[in-house]
Amino acid sequence: MQCDEVGPRLDAYIDGELAEAERVQLRDHLLDCPDCGPEVTALERLRDGIRQAAPIYRAPEALRSRIRFALRQEAAASARAARPAPGWLAYAASILLAVIVGSGGTLLITGEQQEDAVANELIDSHLRSLLADHLTDVASSDKHTVKPWFAGRTELSPPGVDLAPEGFPLVGGRLDLIEGKPVPALVYRAGKHVINVFVLPARAGEYVETVTRRGYTLRHWNQGDFGYWAVSDASSDEFAKFEHAFRAAASG
Amino acid sequence: MAWIAERRRRSRFESVVLPHLDAAYALARWLTRNDADAADVVQEALLRAFRYFDTYREGDAKSWILRIVRRTCYSWLERNRPADVVPLEEEDGPDEGVASAPRAVGDTEALLQNRSDLWRLDVLIEALPAPLREVIVLRELQELGYREIAEISGVPIGTVMSRLHRARSALRRAWEEKDIGDAM
Repeated sequence: MQCDEVGPRLDAYIDGELAEAERVQLRDHLLDCPDCGPEVTALERLRDGIRQAAPIYRAPEALRSRIRFALRQEAAASARAARPAPGWLAYAASILLAVIVGSGGTLLITGEQQEDAVANELIDSHLRSLLADHLTDVASSDKHTVKPWFAGRTELSPPGVDLAPEGFPLVGGRLDLIEGKPVPALVYRAGKHVINVFVLPARAGEYVETVTRRGYTLRHWNQGDFGYWAVSDASSDEFAKFEHAFRAAASG
Repeated sequence: MAWIAERRRRSRFESVVLPHLDAAYALARWLTRNDADAADVVQEALLRAFRYFDTYREGDAKSWILRIVRRTCYSWLERNRPADVVPLEEEDGPDEGVASAPRAVGDTEALLQNRSDLWRLDVLIEALPAPLREVIVLRELQELGYREIAEISGVPIGTVMSRLHRARSALRRAWEEKDIGDAM
């Protein structure tokens, strides 16, 4: 192989895009040739330089959430356009497909299709509250401000519970639309994470305790007349601590 | 049932496409040269991809999604920064390709040489015209093969090769000059 044949093939050579026979020929030439050898070294140096110097861009977590949220809306919109499925039917389907695992009546939701419709809405609401920068309608760490704010705005007046001493300061309250009804949400912080506690009427026969989906965990428990649905991306230890503290404070 | 079907479709889409979100973002980030714009473009591209998901056939999901992201980038740039999408001067035809290396030095490359801040390779890459930048990013940073790059960029393999050669020559010249400058 001559130098003038080598030149145009050098890029393909260092990119590993040459056929084997051609590659061997070229390599043999490079071993002997005082001109072409350094050319390859320079190209390889450039490649290493690029890989070292170029920043590695990764999709920010917020973008990931934003896209999932947008996809869900898009999917919901086209499902509605196709044919509206009655809410109860969807709900029944999700119950049918769910698999009961383990003890203590824990219902482990597996996979995408089986998700509880309410759980979905709540996690959406949680995401919306973070993304739209609309965390609170009433921003106050004072339960005597937050509780009365809900009165008159919803059918449910949740207990205002401040958990600052336990490390979960109350940030405020917010009203979200869940299943078409205004639902109070109490907003807490756990370090850098936000915990939204949605308060719905307690429903009988609900066994869903925890659903983890895409990094967000939904914890549900009934207490008195209220069904609490807490959503966060806090660690599971932290979240369990929160639930424990909340239950203790709400019953007291 | 529409509800279940839609959900299944979304879930399949997410499992096919989201593993390549970082690659999609990186390409958009290099082409738009801006974090916020890259995020907007990627979101737009993925929603577009979701709408056309039925046209996706089992195969190379990464190339499929990068092709859509790339196209969305260019139409976004045309709308918002038309100056960024000037066509390459002296674009080689697919046949002449790699053989025409000495000819492939245009005004574009001259631009790189006359700026004193262009001595860091990452800055140099950013300063390349989009079609050359794209091929460097896909080859050196995404480590894709020529065939995949051709598929993503919608050009023949010969064009990929000549662009890659052109981009490398421009980078090398500017970069090595700096090295020589340092040594003196």
